[in-house]
Amino acid sequence: MAVDFELIMFFILAGVGIGTAAGMLLSRSAVYSALFLVLNFGAVAGFYLFLNAPFIAMAQITVYAGAIMVLFLFVIMLLGAEKLTPPEVLPWQRPLAVVLAGILILEAAYLLFLRTPGLGEIQMPGFGPDTSPAAIGAILFGKYLLPFEITSVLLLTAMVGAIVLVRPRKQGGGQE
Amino acid sequence: MIDLALVLEWVIKSLVVIFMLLGGFAYLTWFERRILARMQTRVGPNRAGWQGLLQPVADAVKLVFKEELIPARADKVIFVLAPILTVVPATVLAVVIPFGTQVILFGRQVNLAVADINVGILFLMAVASVAVYGIVLAGWSSNNKFALMGGMRSTAQMISYELALGLSFVLVALMADSLQLSEIVEAQRTMWFVVLQPVGAIVFLIVTLAEVNRAPFDMPEAEQELAAGFHSEYSGMKFALFFMAEYQKMIVISIIAVTLFFGGYLGPFIGRFPWLGPVYVLGKVVALLFGMVWIRATLPRIRYDRLMDLGWKVLLPLVLGLVLITATGILLADEFGNSLVWSIPVVSILAGFLTVGLVDRSLRRKFNALR
Amino acid sequence: MTIPVSTETLDLAAKFPGIVTPDEREGYSGWIVKADELAAFAASLRDDLGYDFLSSVTGVDYLPEKKLEVVYHVYKTTGGPGLVFKVQLPRKKPEVPSLTPVYPGADFQEREAWDLLGIKFTGHPDLRRILMWEGFEGHPLRKDWKEPFYEEDIKPYSSRWPEGKHSYAEDRNPFNDNVQFPKQFDPEKWVPEGDAALYGALAEYRTTDEDGLDTDHIVVNMGPQHPSTHGVFRAVITLDGEDIVSMKPVMGYLHRNHEKIGERNTYLHNMPYTDRLDYFCSMTNNHGYALAVEKLTGIEVPERTEYIRVIMDELTRIQNHFILIGMLLNDLGAYFTPALYAFEERELILDIFEAVAGSRMMCNYFRFGGVARDVTPEILEKVSALAFDRLPRKADEFDRLLTENEILVSRCKGVGRLSSEDAIKYSMSGPSLRASGVPYDIRKADPYSIYDRFDFDVAVRYNGDTYDRYLIRLDEIRQSLRILQQAIRQIPEGPIQTGKSTYLTKTPAGESYGRIEAPKGELGYYLVSNGTGNPWRYHVRAPSFINITALESMVVGGKIADFVIVFGGIDVVLGEMDR
Repeated sequence: MAVDFELIMFFILAGVGIGTAAGMLLSRSAVYSALFLVLNFGAVAGFYLFLNAPFIAMAQITVYAGAIMVLFLFVIMLLGAEKLTPPEVLPWQRPLAVVLAGILILEAAYLLFLRTPGLGEIQMPGFGPDTSPAAIGAILFGKYLLPFEITSVLLLTAMVGAIVLVRPRKQGGGQE
Repeated sequence: MIDLALVLEWVIKSLVVIFMLLGGFAYLTWFERRILARMQTRVGPNRAGWQGLLQPVADAVKLVFKEELIPARADKVIFVLAPILTVVPATVLAVVIPFGTQVILFGRQVNLAVADINVGILFLMAVASVAVYGIVLAGWSSNNKFALMGGMRSTAQMISYELALGLSFVLVALMADSLQLSEIVEAQRTMWFVVLQPVGAIVFLIVTLAEVNRAPFDMPEAEQELAAGFHSEYSGMKFALFFMAEYQKMIVISIIAVTLFFGGYLGPFIGRFPWLGPVYVLGKVVALLFGMVWIRATLPRIRYDRLMDLGWKVLLPLVLGLVLITATGILLADEFGNSLVWSIPVVSILAGFLTVGLVDRSLRRKFNALR
Repeated sequence: MTIPVSTETLDLAAKFPGIVTPDEREGYSGWIVKADELAAFAASLRDDLGYDFLSSVTGVDYLPEKKLEVVYHVYKTTGGPGLVFKVQLPRKKPEVPSLTPVYPGADFQEREAWDLLGIKFTGHPDLRRILMWEGFEGHPLRKDWKEPFYEEDIKPYSSRWPEGKHSYAEDRNPFNDNVQFPKQFDPEKWVPEGDAALYGALAEYRTTDEDGLDTDHIVVNMGPQHPSTHGVFRAVITLDGEDIVSMKPVMGYLHRNHEKIGERNTYLHNMPYTDRLDYFCSMTNNHGYALAVEKLTGIEVPERTEYIRVIMDELTRIQNHFILIGMLLNDLGAYFTPALYAFEERELILDIFEAVAGSRMMCNYFRFGGVARDVTPEILEKVSALAFDRLPRKADEFDRLLTENEILVSRCKGVGRLSSEDAIKYSMSGPSLRASGVPYDIRKADPYSIYDRFDFDVAVRYNGDTYDRYLIRLDEIRQSLRILQQAIRQIPEGPIQTGKSTYLTKTPAGESYGRIEAPKGELGYYLVSNGTGNPWRYHVRAPSFINITALESMVVGGKIADFVIVFGGIDVVLGEMDR
């Protein structure tokens, strides 16, 4: 019964995820697109919960839905982008999209049906259904310290770059 | 297997929390109006029922029967959705809060928390960050410049203050060595965190004022500038929902503050009488809410650009410094003995004074430059 | 005997031969200037003779002589009596050069004269209607303009008396008790006229910054229904983000043509109407009007009455300033607490008004040559309890609670700055002028009533920002208390009314200008009498109206949140602004 419950929830979440993704692409208004994307993030967060990864689920909502998408909405509203007419369709875009989508479907079909064992389980020592955030922290700051630090340096560089780019140009070298 | 009794327990606990928040909202309005009135040499609502206790009921009836207007050129779907999006997070926030330890009820061990999950603090952050959508969308969908500006302001404000909020959560998590709220409360058995993290607690309280848009940070609805801000165009029950969300958030954020810094449900005799837990929480929450009302009655509003400056240039560096101080203090305590944990409050108070001094100096400089 | 408006002994006719002639009509004074040379004359007046403060610009319709006259009152901010000069224009095509290049403070007043009298000011940058709505037919202060319920030119209307055979215009009107809109008028489809001109008066909506990026500006209408406009004032603001790029005030939503009503009324009829101008300060409104009529008729005021008047004026000033401080804090976002603290003091002062006049707000207390009722010793007792004990304490309490408040300081300091030159230029008056460093107080500069007997200082502050405008109110409260204390000590016994009080005051033909230092600024009443019981011209120089002239220069460049407090700090009342 428990399996059934999870399965039902999986299909609901999957439906929501696909539906919102489609809605995001098809909706005419930029604001609606952004909102569909938020819902989509919610669905993905739900998947993480079912995968016994509450930490990532919460981080997903906080970072993507809470921070990034709010900024997106902010920009859309500030620019009044929801009123803009869609840009002209490039002539070669549609055929190319069809071809690429076909390749993707073939690839997925190949993986699903021909390579039966699937992708295999990724071994993450120390991770289980009840992994506490403390354990994640220990791994992150122990085993994966170097990648973590490199990432943080990268982000810092990006931040500094952004600040330099938008810094108001000084006139006559005066202060401010 | 899902235990039916467990499901029933969850449903009942959820309903209790929801009704607690609804009732709390209603009587918080009464509480605020009476306290404000007393502070302003007035009497306040005292006609409906004894001491005006039925006033919230009267207000609710009035709001239900008011005409609901939707502006002709508003985005109707989002316009209707926005109040709901505002209320839901405010209510959901409360589910991870522990109101006490365990009690025996109908022969069952019952946890006095709806869901005591191990990433409690992260859950709070996640839900709090989603709460801004209702306000932004309300402002945008109203198709009104005042509302839009209110929405914009609140977005910018909440994003800015979320950073400091998150970092003050980190302070507590560091001290308690856990993200689970019940463990955080238990970690305060010997000493409330407000003693060990006085500056952190103050920063947290300031930031939460900004997060719930209360005076002196009530930018999004700054009445004198933006009419009513993001809810300018709302009336009737939809307006009531915004109103409800604001007051529920006040309550929830007070509960969170109590949990994180003021020992949650802890108090004398809590071990022998677990039912005292909710009572202690209530008492502490009322004290904090009184403080919020007091601030509203006292302080004028900070100007918007200064508010952003305060968030980014004062609170964020300060709380980053506090994180460093706390981490170092914990390390020292681990290495050289427990009494060194007291270096945290001492150094952080110094950091707090330094910040206040720097702000004071820069303000003074600015005024002197004006002369 | 009429006291002349202009007592200056300069011989301008000799200084400007061929341009200026003395006004030699009976009861008139001052000079008549040729319209063509007006600008040069005014510039010389300002620069050579030091008349730097344009107090009032208004017009008079002399219908029998087929002339329109523009009347200017100028003063020196260093003190002393003023100077009045006039320009006479043909009624058919009244055109006069605008004085805005010389005195920018003439801006709104010229617009008002254009609106109400149809005098065209050539060279005015933005000559639109100001009090009436765009599209209004005619100029209502012209003597041949008749209002919808017109009965007769002057009151009392013969239909109303004697023997009470009332016949109201309303009953004879086919629309009964209201004037309805025309048959073809459809309010759903009506588009307000003149908004295009108004928005056109603002700066460009879209600008390009130095990076070549287009920047959209938002036009925000603050008002007419907006909590921070203290009534139905509308400010059309162009915003770049939160910064104000330009601002145009729109007023007149409360306009009732006070002056036309005043010209229909008898002199005494007008006394209660003046209450409704600045409804916070009916006592000072009464005083200004009584002063103008007394100057016209030459009535002397008894000693005791003068003291009573001073006491009432200063009480009015104190309560007005308390309210202003409270409301300013409200504009800053303090949730009503300071405002209600201020109201507490105001209520105590209103108790006194009620005791002497019978009404708390609409006092209608002054009479020509007296006041309506005497002040009993018990009331005086109450006043002195306030003046010697409670109010000084409360002023200190406000000072202690507010002056050092960090948020108040940081939000008010340096906000809405107005230099002393600009303040004079824009004809700013009252506390706002003195906060800009100009120690100009009519009570000292050109004393009326018995203010020259009291020992007090002119409060002055030098930064001209909103913080100083707040501080100066506290200073003025303290100075007013000093005056009040002296007045209470010195008040003599005696009559309170010269002669017999009459309902119908006859005045000799002539003009008079009575001006006082009202709490909000210089309140002036310009009266022209043709020798009957009704004023031929009744003009109010409303400080709230004219002080707003400088608002644009004060808020541009600031934040939208600053607009609210700058506007609140100037202290305006819409009843007076719109008249």
